[in-house]
Amino acid sequence: MSNITHADIRMYGTGTGDCFVLKFFSDESQKFTMMIDGGTWKGTKSHLSKYVRNLKKYVSGHIDLLVITHEHKDHVYLFDACSDLFTKNFTIDEVWMAWSEDDQNDLVKEWKDKFGQKKKALAIASDKISLAIQDEKLTVQLSKGFNGTEVVKRFKKFSSSLNDFKELHFSVDSSGKYKGGLKGMEIIKKQIAKDNIKYCKPGEIESISKLPGIKFHILGPPESFEAIKKEHGKKGSEDTYDHNKVLKRSDSFSAVITEQSSAMGQSPFDEKYNDSSAKSKNYYNQSDSFWRTIDLDWLVSGAGNLALRVNTGINNLSLAMAIEFEDSGRVMLFPGDAEFGSWESWHNIEWNKKGKKGKHLTEDLLNRTVFYKVAHHLSHNGTAKEKGLEMMTSSDLVAMATLDFEAISSNWKSTMPNRGILKDLINKTKGRLIIMNEKDLFYDFDEKVTLKDKIESERLRLNEKQQKAFKKSFKETKLYKQYTVQTNLEN
Amino acid sequence: MDLPSVRKLRGYAFDPSLSIRLETHQINEITYEVPWEEIDYSDGTLRGEYVEIIDYDPSVKEFYETIDFNNQSILAENGLAPSESNPKFHQQMVYAVVMTTIKNFERALGRKMLWSTRKLDYDPQNGKSKYEEYIDRIRIYPHAIREANAYYSPQKKALLFGYFHSNPMDQKDQMPGTLVYTCLSHDIIAHETTHAILDGLQRHYNEPSNPDVLAFHEGFADLVALFQHFTFPDVLKHQIAVTRGDLSRQNLLGELAQQFGVAIGHYGSLRDAIGGINEETGEWEKNIPNPNEYNEVMEPHHRGGILVAAVFDAFLAIYERRVADLNRIASNGTGILPQGELHPDLVNRLATEASKTAQHVLYMCIRAIDYCPPTDITFGEYLRAIITADCDLVSSDPYAYRLAFMEAFKKRGIYPQGIVSLSIESLWYPKISIPEGPNSMIEIIANFLRDYSHKVAYYTNRKDIYEITKGIISGNISLELRKKMLLQPDEYVMSLHRRINVKFNKSNDFIKMTGLMFGNIGENFGIRTSSSNGASFSVQNLRLVNRVGPNGNKVNQVVFSIIQKSGVIIKDDKVLRTFIPDRNVDLTLEKMEKAFIYRGGCTLILDLDSRKLKYSIKKPLLVFRLKNRNQGNPLLNKEAIEKQWLFQNETSVNAMSEFQKYFSATINDHAFEPFALLHQH
Repeated sequence: MSNITHADIRMYGTGTGDCFVLKFFSDESQKFTMMIDGGTWKGTKSHLSKYVRNLKKYVSGHIDLLVITHEHKDHVYLFDACSDLFTKNFTIDEVWMAWSEDDQNDLVKEWKDKFGQKKKALAIASDKISLAIQDEKLTVQLSKGFNGTEVVKRFKKFSSSLNDFKELHFSVDSSGKYKGGLKGMEIIKKQIAKDNIKYCKPGEIESISKLPGIKFHILGPPESFEAIKKEHGKKGSEDTYDHNKVLKRSDSFSAVITEQSSAMGQSPFDEKYNDSSAKSKNYYNQSDSFWRTIDLDWLVSGAGNLALRVNTGINNLSLAMAIEFEDSGRVMLFPGDAEFGSWESWHNIEWNKKGKKGKHLTEDLLNRTVFYKVAHHLSHNGTAKEKGLEMMTSSDLVAMATLDFEAISSNWKSTMPNRGILKDLINKTKGRLIIMNEKDLFYDFDEKVTLKDKIESERLRLNEKQQKAFKKSFKETKLYKQYTVQTNLEN
Repeated sequence: MDLPSVRKLRGYAFDPSLSIRLETHQINEITYEVPWEEIDYSDGTLRGEYVEIIDYDPSVKEFYETIDFNNQSILAENGLAPSESNPKFHQQMVYAVVMTTIKNFERALGRKMLWSTRKLDYDPQNGKSKYEEYIDRIRIYPHAIREANAYYSPQKKALLFGYFHSNPMDQKDQMPGTLVYTCLSHDIIAHETTHAILDGLQRHYNEPSNPDVLAFHEGFADLVALFQHFTFPDVLKHQIAVTRGDLSRQNLLGELAQQFGVAIGHYGSLRDAIGGINEETGEWEKNIPNPNEYNEVMEPHHRGGILVAAVFDAFLAIYERRVADLNRIASNGTGILPQGELHPDLVNRLATEASKTAQHVLYMCIRAIDYCPPTDITFGEYLRAIITADCDLVSSDPYAYRLAFMEAFKKRGIYPQGIVSLSIESLWYPKISIPEGPNSMIEIIANFLRDYSHKVAYYTNRKDIYEITKGIISGNISLELRKKMLLQPDEYVMSLHRRINVKFNKSNDFIKMTGLMFGNIGENFGIRTSSSNGASFSVQNLRLVNRVGPNGNKVNQVVFSIIQKSGVIIKDDKVLRTFIPDRNVDLTLEKMEKAFIYRGGCTLILDLDSRKLKYSIKKPLLVFRLKNRNQGNPLLNKEAIEKQWLFQNETSVNAMSEFQKYFSATINDHAFEPFALLHQH
């Protein structure tokens, strides 16, 4: 069997979120079809069906390998919204997920229980806050204070941001109450994979008989839960795109909010200390000092932080893989939405072989990366700097980012795209950064230079051969953008 | 019978975690001595002059009983014994540390502390008829949140302390899963109280107009916590004895400083800048100052750490000089101490010196606040303020305190802008000299303020001080207040605001001196101006400063700040034109144009004895071209405006916390708690 010569990578423009199809060819003959994720931030069924129908036709109703990186709406929602299209006249041979999705694993079970509590706490807190915001007594009182109208507006924005986090993570019933994990994920596991799933661990190197000359290197998720919690590099180091801090775990908030009967959720003090006279309560509740009350503060502070922790946790559970063309050593990197903790852990994997020049294999793989699916939609925490992008030194590097301002939570626009990553990526790829939808995106803070213009001008830096090659490999329609990775540069 | 002068209250010197370690348990309990005050318990809460404690835990909707310091057995035993399980002790601890912190400020500044006022929207139609409201007490909620967090809320005028289940780095200090209360940590309480006090002293310091502002708030709060800690000699004695002998190891105090911070999680991060354990030797080492850090680090805590490290360096240098003689005596001039335990007398003397030095450094740091500009503080300006305040009060400097500060800041690349060479003379703000004519106008104002100082000096009640001060500034004086001020019911008092307007209007010299606009042409610069009152500005922080230095120097000054705002429209990062804030509300902007409000300000320090204006410490809104310094017309300070614009719209975005990134609109979004956001970890 002759080796693979090229792969077409198709990014569907479903809205901010990942839906990729990879087709591997040996010259003209198609050998293997792979799908990575199927999600989006938002979209109606009828809108999304257009993409899914195209996808089905493109793959002739069959996928050899489906990879689901992690359980976030923007990675699995299509399976929920268009479940009928995926469950009928559609076959999938194999499904891969991260080891952390293996519900039979005791460690996973325990962690998921805990994590489920947190998700639930987030849902409850989010609901409590939206409820409070709807209470006119509160908003009227708030608006009486300094800059009151603005304060109320901000509170509403906070509540809606929080709600977005909630939707990203789990299903809610019609009234918005927490129901459990994401439905899309459940459909994949139960109806599509029928529980026949391969769970991947970092350090594994897989090959598939239909794909001679291709190696799948599993990078993440890390096997330690410590790494999973980590969103950022060490404070003050140059490891990430901004200086921030390691989040600290605190279960108190989740515990008390889910009203567990455990001691954690209750008053830490003996009953005898309670103020039975109700005097202090009356004082606290005096109407002229309403502005000093603190009934919502603990919810706002706690829920906000919890949302960030939960989000980072799940992102770092992304199945991250480097797909290598063995002969040429070229690599395609699909990290899901891995954040810093995951990126960092890749460098500690005990591979059964070394990279070139005695380097750690991870570093070597990054050095040889010619295609990079940008993690976490160009956000600041999605791409590690020193331990990530700076190691991608290939002059052929092309990147794809699944960002679309026409389909994203408005509250997330301030974090995506991160200008630092954008700048480095455009520079490294010489403008070969393919973005799902450039509309309304700008290169600079002042919003003077559109991203589209910047990318185009940057592409002029490519030499003639590179320009030709890129033009030949890139294809764009209303529904998708597509790029062809050649196994060998000469082709 | 006279009332006692102090109330003795037991508390932790650090936080509870040190009480369960054999080597530290005996030093962890100290007795705080706070000034005696009447406490009102009538509402079931604890209400003193400065604070009220309401122990309400919203997460479990429970109110806890308030401690009664007058209770016989509590009174007889210097308060409750330290206990984590008794919320009443928590209240006692918070009260003791908050009051200790307030008293340190009052002693250093020589006046009563006032909390920042509560701002209100002036809108008579909606029943909002006041600009601001006096705040007599801040509220303290010892159990307000369920996280490893505590913060000062400028909106609620409250301190909120959290508690959480710990997940310690070092499991020998805390059992995993035990509850940790932030309201039991001296450093956290002092840190948050300082945020509140600083907000009362300089209310614009929570507006991040340059990378130093928020970092200053954090760094300053930590400095106060740190050096206040060092003023307790018993804490130091133990450590000095334990490390026996090796006094050349100046690490000792640095290590201790860091330990204080580490005990409860993230407050340690500010102090990481001081030093850390060398992994090879296992020994604690001071960090080598990195002069680039100041240019590179933007995250407020990390940046604040640079300030902490600089001041701490100065402290160590001063301490070394102060104990050099003791070292010589104890080692018979050899520098090598004899074997065995240190003589307890020596330990005492060393600890006393360390605590004295800490007190001096603490007061120097606090006093400097009066010499800072009212907006847009930078570390360099703070250094100048420290030097100037100290030069004013202390004429001779045998231990070279001032040089130690200068050196320490220099090592970290912190240079004030606008000075030609670095020396104590050049750091000392120049004394104002203005021509005879304008000076006579200053004298009239000085006379008026001297009058004010006499009136205020009689009052010790903070509300009286606030009201008289406000009356003097605004001219609105109620009948009741007239009585207090010994004024005739119909006596006309021309307000300070009006006086400045009238007097400063007459000469360009005042525009040069303050960098602000007076008179009728303000609208050219985007400053709201009315034909009757001229260019609008606000007078803030009028305060009387009476201090006596160690050599009997007396400082007798009145200090106040003038702040003025201008509306500018920015395009392509450049000032394009101006607009009038608060008036042109329906401003129409072309594409790529952004509206921006810039605040200029200056702090004026008037010497009451000579009736002369001594210093003007300014952040100018207007500048004059250098060439024709003495003539010509003022120009908008575009350079500063554009710099601030760039910072707020680009640099700061990277320094925003994760929480802000997702939940706030901009870094200036203060609808949420600014200090809470800084403390999210």
